[in-house]
Amino acid sequence: MALIKTDDTDHQLISRFKEGSSEAMEKIVERYQESIFNFGLRMCGHMQDAEDIMQDTFLNAFNGLHSFREETKLKNWLFRIAAHACQRKRRKKKFQPDRELSLESFFPKEGTEARFEIPDPASDPAQDLMRSELKQVIEEAVYSLPPKYKLVFNLRDMEGFSTEETAEILEISVQSVKTRLHRARLYLREKISNHYKDEESHAQGV
Amino acid sequence: MHKECKKHFKKVSQYLDGELDARTCEKIRLHLQECPECRHCVDSLRKTIDLCRKLPKEKVPPEMKRDLLETLRKALTDRAPQNF
Repeated sequence: MALIKTDDTDHQLISRFKEGSSEAMEKIVERYQESIFNFGLRMCGHMQDAEDIMQDTFLNAFNGLHSFREETKLKNWLFRIAAHACQRKRRKKKFQPDRELSLESFFPKEGTEARFEIPDPASDPAQDLMRSELKQVIEEAVYSLPPKYKLVFNLRDMEGFSTEETAEILEISVQSVKTRLHRARLYLREKISNHYKDEESHAQGV
Repeated sequence: MHKECKKHFKKVSQYLDGELDARTCEKIRLHLQECPECRHCVDSLRKTIDLCRKLPKEKVPPEMKRDLLETLRKALTDRAPQNF
């Protein structure tokens, strides 16, 4: 028999759901809706799209939960469904074509020294990141990532999945996760830094 | 950018994530001690990751939660009326 990888709480909720408990369904939704909603929001950039992603994910999940064999964690399985929902939504809406980010494009130009202006992360996130400007700069930078890099970045750095888990969720190789994550981070550093450099130039009247 | 710097540049994320073997990790650590440009590269990337990770999560609006549960209950009742 395959090893069950869901935690005790999820395992019990899944069993009760299979027996017909609507309360178990509600508890599963309660446990994961915020993560799935935020993932949808960061992938698509709009509340309405995030709501669609969340609905699609849970509808598909509960339709398939009877045959879910718990060979992966419930959260990972839900994110696999959510990632597919995001890809379907993107194809349907025809927004954000995918494109490659080459590593070379992030090398400093010959004869120049790379300087990045990244604000210091405050020890208390409520004091710093809640500042709407910085929050908006980061959210827009993340949203502007090409989709395949955005998927990996959101799963690894925003949701905290490991490299192996991300590879499993997206059904890609571990090496692809590492490559895409590195380029996504370099891209975000450049975007955030450019914003603050531009601000500095404006302040100096350049 | 020096050849040595380029070689390490490719591995900075794995270095920060602790995903490199001990030997490669030590090579990068020694290089960082003597290369201010690469040190800045690593520090600024670490700060970028920290900033993104500290981004607060949005709450799901209550009406959206309600609509979701209604949709799910309806879909599951239509599918298996004996269970819901």
